[in-house]
Amino acid sequence: MTDVILEKIGKTYPNGYHAIPSVDLSIEEGEFIVLVGPSGCGKSTLLRMVAGLESISDGELRIRGERMNEKEPAERDIAMVFQNYALYPHMTVYNNMAYGLKNRKVSKEVIEKKVTDVAEMLGLTDLLQRKPGQLSGGQRQRVAMGRAMVRDPKVFLFDEPLSNLDAKLRVQMRVEIRQLQRKLGTTTLYVTHDQVEAMTLADRLVVLNKGNAEQIGTPMDLYNKPATPFVASFIGSPSMNLLPANLVEQGIKISNSLTLPLPHDYRGGVVWGIRPEHLEVSDEQNADFALRIQAVESLGAETLIHGLLEEESKKGIPMVVRLSGPHLPELNSLMWLTAPVKHWHLFDEITQQRL
Amino acid sequence: MTVTFPQKGLPWLLLLPQLLVTAIFFLWPAEQALEQAFYQEDAFGLSREFVGFENFIDLFTDPLYYQSMLTTLFFSFSVAILGISVALLLAVMADRVIRGKLAYQTLLIWPYAVAPALAGVLWWILFDPSMGPIALWLNSAGVDWNHYLNGNQAMILVVIASTWKQISYNFLFFLAGLQAVPRSLIEAASIDGASPFKRFWTIVFPLLSPTTFFLLVVNLVYAFFETFGVIDATTKGGPGQSTNTLVYKVFEDGFVGLDLGGSAAQSVVLMGIVGLMTVIQFRFIERKVQYS
Repeated sequence: MTDVILEKIGKTYPNGYHAIPSVDLSIEEGEFIVLVGPSGCGKSTLLRMVAGLESISDGELRIRGERMNEKEPAERDIAMVFQNYALYPHMTVYNNMAYGLKNRKVSKEVIEKKVTDVAEMLGLTDLLQRKPGQLSGGQRQRVAMGRAMVRDPKVFLFDEPLSNLDAKLRVQMRVEIRQLQRKLGTTTLYVTHDQVEAMTLADRLVVLNKGNAEQIGTPMDLYNKPATPFVASFIGSPSMNLLPANLVEQGIKISNSLTLPLPHDYRGGVVWGIRPEHLEVSDEQNADFALRIQAVESLGAETLIHGLLEEESKKGIPMVVRLSGPHLPELNSLMWLTAPVKHWHLFDEITQQRL
Repeated sequence: MTVTFPQKGLPWLLLLPQLLVTAIFFLWPAEQALEQAFYQEDAFGLSREFVGFENFIDLFTDPLYYQSMLTTLFFSFSVAILGISVALLLAVMADRVIRGKLAYQTLLIWPYAVAPALAGVLWWILFDPSMGPIALWLNSAGVDWNHYLNGNQAMILVVIASTWKQISYNFLFFLAGLQAVPRSLIEAASIDGASPFKRFWTIVFPLLSPTTFFLLVVNLVYAFFETFGVIDATTKGGPGQSTNTLVYKVFEDGFVGLDLGGSAAQSVVLMGIVGLMTVIQFRFIERKVQYS
């Protein structure tokens, strides 16, 4: 069943700034949708429009078939977890979680039962009488989630909830959020700028760029078949190697001396891309191109090699290669690489669309 | 951080002006008042006689003094509570204004720059029974306004006149306090289903409570000690004893009644009250209420 529908949703600020031109998205019940994009792409604005904290200028928002545009945040049956948690500092953890229920005139016994249940689920039972100021970052994060969960809303909204945590805690909470969401089966809309978070959490991802949804799909769809160079470079770390090129008779011409063979009937400017993990080391005869090594990042399980293309000193386009296991090539030495055709990504230079 | 000076004399030299001001205008008069309180002096200041605690005994057996104390308490709490409530209301409204915010805020802060005596005169004119516009309007509305005869009306007048100035001061603190309340808290509360009214009383007001408490003490101190000018310009403590606060009584008994010893004894009592309030201020206000 479709749970949340965004139909041609747009946002124009009173000063005329067109933050979001038009976004279409339909979310299935229980689905975990992640809105991802660089800062300023409109992802938080979109989330806040769903929450009712920002007005909707164009289009329609429906939750369970009901139009929500004019409804107050409280009437939309949503719960939101804020980036800074927005816990009420003068209330205990218990009261923070109970506040929304009290406002909805839920009876005391029911409130107590719900709060203790959720607190138990989140491991907050011993902290119920504390104030937010006495909690660690991770605990506050949990309380913020608990506050959202006790109300048992139709939709969870998360606005970069993990960005204030340290790296280790972030990974831990990420896993926990995913498990909780699966367990509760609540439709979730999650905003982040971190593509790793996005890939690991999402059932489906929405990549936003300048207020436009560049691509909507499962993490693997986006990784394997990015629709635009923007998505290609945004999803995956390190990002995809992208080179301007021309499609010619014999194949794809990257520079005067380098033409990769590919039979194709398209002629014209393209953006050619390959992921760092898909480049293969080869010998000089079979190589598609040579890379002058500039820097080596050894991460133990894998090695990232940064280099510049050695092409008649034409441009020196940077390229990254990802190899599994430890490697220690010498700096400034040459590395011979092949780029298997099946891993190529081609985009039209003008329309920026995948070919 | 400790700053060290190469010469020992320089720090003292730099402190000297402030020390002189404190000594001449605060310590010396305080000492004089303390001394005076134990003497009985004739009206012309020609002779005086040591009387021990007699001035204090007179003071604390005088029913008028207790009445003045009650008047002062009533007056001070009225000024503080009225000033704080009105300022809070104005601050909340000014905080919501989007267009012309700065203009509203500036205008609301202006009255603070008006001298107390001037503020008193202003209200005295407005409420003058024979020509004041407000008094005339009240008369036409059926209220027989004459604060020269009616003690309650006189009290209302001095409370209004003293509060008016203080509202600006309180407003400034509340506005800053309101702007320090994170927006996301209000948003979270609105998602949690709290009406704007409820959001204010359950979220914003509790978060402002350190500011409110600070202002309560500051306003009480103001009403106790700094409203001489307003009272002198409007009611002169009258009619009868109805607006004769402790501070005004010091002046009246000393310089009008020419009971210098009694007046000095009252000053000593006031000094004690100031000391007490300072302690309260340091104990409760300096220890900041922390929210994080």
